[in-house]
Amino acid sequence: MNAAYSENSETDRAAHIWRYTPWKKAHPTGDINKIPVADSPKLSVSMSDGGEVPAGIRVEHATADDLARLGHDLDFGEGTAAPTFIAEISPQIYVLRVDPKTITTAPIILSVETRGTTCACRLILDIGERSEIELITVLEGDAEWFGFLREGAFGQASIVNDVVVHVTGNRLLRCDSICSNRDAQIRAGTVNAASSQAKVDVRHWLPEPGASLQVNGSILASRKDHLDSHVEILHSGKQTFSRLEWHTAASGESVTTGTGMLRIDAGAKGGDAGQLFHNLLLSDKANANSIPELEVMESEVVGCGHGTANGPLDEYQMFYLNARGFDEEQARAALIAAFLNAPLSNMGSESLHGWLINRIESHLSGL
Amino acid sequence: MTDEARSAVGDYKAGWHDPENATIRFDFGLSEQVVRDISALKNEPEWMTEIRVKAYHHFEERPMPTWGNMHLLEEIDFDKVCYYLRSSDATEKNWEDVPEDIRNTFNRLGIPDAEQKWLSGVTAQYESEAVYHSIREDLEEQGVIFLDMDSGLREYESIVKKYFCSVVPYSDNKFSALNTAVWSGGSFIYVPSGVHVEMPVQAYFRINAKNMGQFERTLIIADEGSSIHYVEGCTAPTYSTDSLHSAVVELIALPGAHIRYSTVQNWSNNVYNLVTKRGIAHDNATIEWVDGNIGSKLTMKYPAVILKGEGSHAEVISVAYSGEGQHQDAGAKIHHLASNTTSKILSKSISKDGGRGSYRGMVTVSPKAENCKVNVVCDALLLDEDSRSDTYPTMEVGNSGARCEHEASVSKVSDDQLFYLMSRGHTEEEALALIVNGFFEPFTRELPMEYAVELNQLMALEMEGSIG
Repeated sequence: MNAAYSENSETDRAAHIWRYTPWKKAHPTGDINKIPVADSPKLSVSMSDGGEVPAGIRVEHATADDLARLGHDLDFGEGTAAPTFIAEISPQIYVLRVDPKTITTAPIILSVETRGTTCACRLILDIGERSEIELITVLEGDAEWFGFLREGAFGQASIVNDVVVHVTGNRLLRCDSICSNRDAQIRAGTVNAASSQAKVDVRHWLPEPGASLQVNGSILASRKDHLDSHVEILHSGKQTFSRLEWHTAASGESVTTGTGMLRIDAGAKGGDAGQLFHNLLLSDKANANSIPELEVMESEVVGCGHGTANGPLDEYQMFYLNARGFDEEQARAALIAAFLNAPLSNMGSESLHGWLINRIESHLSGL
Repeated sequence: MTDEARSAVGDYKAGWHDPENATIRFDFGLSEQVVRDISALKNEPEWMTEIRVKAYHHFEERPMPTWGNMHLLEEIDFDKVCYYLRSSDATEKNWEDVPEDIRNTFNRLGIPDAEQKWLSGVTAQYESEAVYHSIREDLEEQGVIFLDMDSGLREYESIVKKYFCSVVPYSDNKFSALNTAVWSGGSFIYVPSGVHVEMPVQAYFRINAKNMGQFERTLIIADEGSSIHYVEGCTAPTYSTDSLHSAVVELIALPGAHIRYSTVQNWSNNVYNLVTKRGIAHDNATIEWVDGNIGSKLTMKYPAVILKGEGSHAEVISVAYSGEGQHQDAGAKIHHLASNTTSKILSKSISKDGGRGSYRGMVTVSPKAENCKVNVVCDALLLDEDSRSDTYPTMEVGNSGARCEHEASVSKVSDDQLFYLMSRGHTEEEALALIVNGFFEPFTRELPMEYAVELNQLMALEMEGSIG
């Protein structure tokens, strides 16, 4: 049973989740009591190498059974307003089904073509056991405001590289609530290349033993962009592993926020978790906020830590490149690209990496 | 723990209480009349009464914080607190003149002995009022003012009026409003330009009565190029009902001045310790908070520094021990408002027997503050399965030239370290106590020797029974 928006629309500014982007700002109309009519985006699946999509992979309308089996309760604590709102206005619920033991050699591209003034979509991931895939979900199109809710699970012992790329140029509200089952090996990436305002709330749950999760973020912010990302990882199974690395480059008058919550439940023995937020500030008027939080309720952990670092481009690195013939502009561009590329290169295979670089390269010039 | 350590500290050595011999005791509960009565009793100037009354109304209107340990905060019953209790008619300059029962209390706590050996001055506060106060003559001759806050207001009204509430306005938070409304006691210090107070001055705060509220107010002004080290200690008896300690401390370090403020808080586990501490550092000034939290039921304390002047520096070194039923919610706040300012925060916590240790911090760098450097390190040790550790750091960076780093880790005591020490003849319990003392060492080395020794002994006592 989902939490209901009507019971969660009032939010508390004192809560970290709403500190920098209040719900009123993230809401499509600014009036939190309004429930607008939303268009549904167009979803299509293809392969990055132009090949045929394997039979075991398809997008279809979700059934009641899908919701019962894979849908989450959408209880995001203080942040519940956002996912329940998207769930309420989404005209359709889709499911991306990957049959058990499906193995692909090239990344799957799931295009989400947004349209209209307000657009919303609820997508359930049903990634079968022991499947090995790379999935790139591209949020594109021209909707003025897009709400995207992803729920579901990565099946037992699946190996999945899952990247969501924001190239829609307008306002975005995205919520993920995804479970990694026993022994699943997941790399979850977020790339923001174009959204002018994004409120992203990504929640991963590791309830079963042996699950491994790497979350990477590569965020470009320029002009007057306002990008607010929250990543929450809950370890409740034994011997679970997670790493978060979130790189943000902020130029212009942009405001970026990276908040994270790493929670180790009592009983999650052998948990190993770490998170790092790096912010590169490229202009005097850019602003970067970070709140990497940690709640540890289990003493028998391998390790649990977090860190954050904010700073300008390293002057020694600039000097090094200048001394080797790069002019200021070239050296700056090279260092920014390298900074953003570090998490990108950890998101998946070389072909996935190559596809991402091609897709976002043009946006780098905006920094 | 060694027998020597046990004889030094006993089982929460400060948990005893004396019979209550109040000369004035207010009824439980708070009202505007109570606030006005406290002010009238102290014969305060009108402007102070007005601030108190405004603060009282703000306290009444302001809701409880919606963050932190709301469950414990909601248990506070403000109607069951005594807001003023006087046990002595005067603040004495000679220990012999302090009423005998109170003198015995401080003798048991070792205060007169410490004063003779290693302090420049002492204030001893018992319930709501300072009962003893002294300062070394040579410092007095150099113009150093060290008084209890009530005497400071009487004798140096213009200075107090200028700085009171200038760093912590009453409207800052619910508990700063409460303190401003009912404050009593605390220290007032002024160090003249260029004077260096070589030995620390100390204040000792003791709550003796049941359901008592202690609301001391401390104001320290270090004039240009001066320096001072202020040390405070706190204890209370163990009762089955709760007491409330809600202090406000304001520090003003004028250009080039250096203030170090050290605290070893060892309240009994029925005391709510909800404190607002903040300093302003002007050009090239330094403010250091050295903060040890061992006792209390719930501590919410985030020593803060506003780096207002260019080249100023802030340091916060804090340790917290959380045992059964305790929540130490401590941290630090640094605001970099000026260029070339630097700050360092080191926080260490240990949780045991279901205790909860939280680091909650905030660092901001304003857009105009060029070339700032920030370093924050938080380490936590969890000693058993029932305990919990949280870290909630916030960094807001508005200047592209700032370099800000934060790192935190939570771990258990390493088996390798235990094995190493046990293979050299230590029992497991001794080995654990040694590791814990080593963990806290960056804090204890910043304390005066006597405090450091006591802290190590307290920690050894707390560690007793950790094994098996």
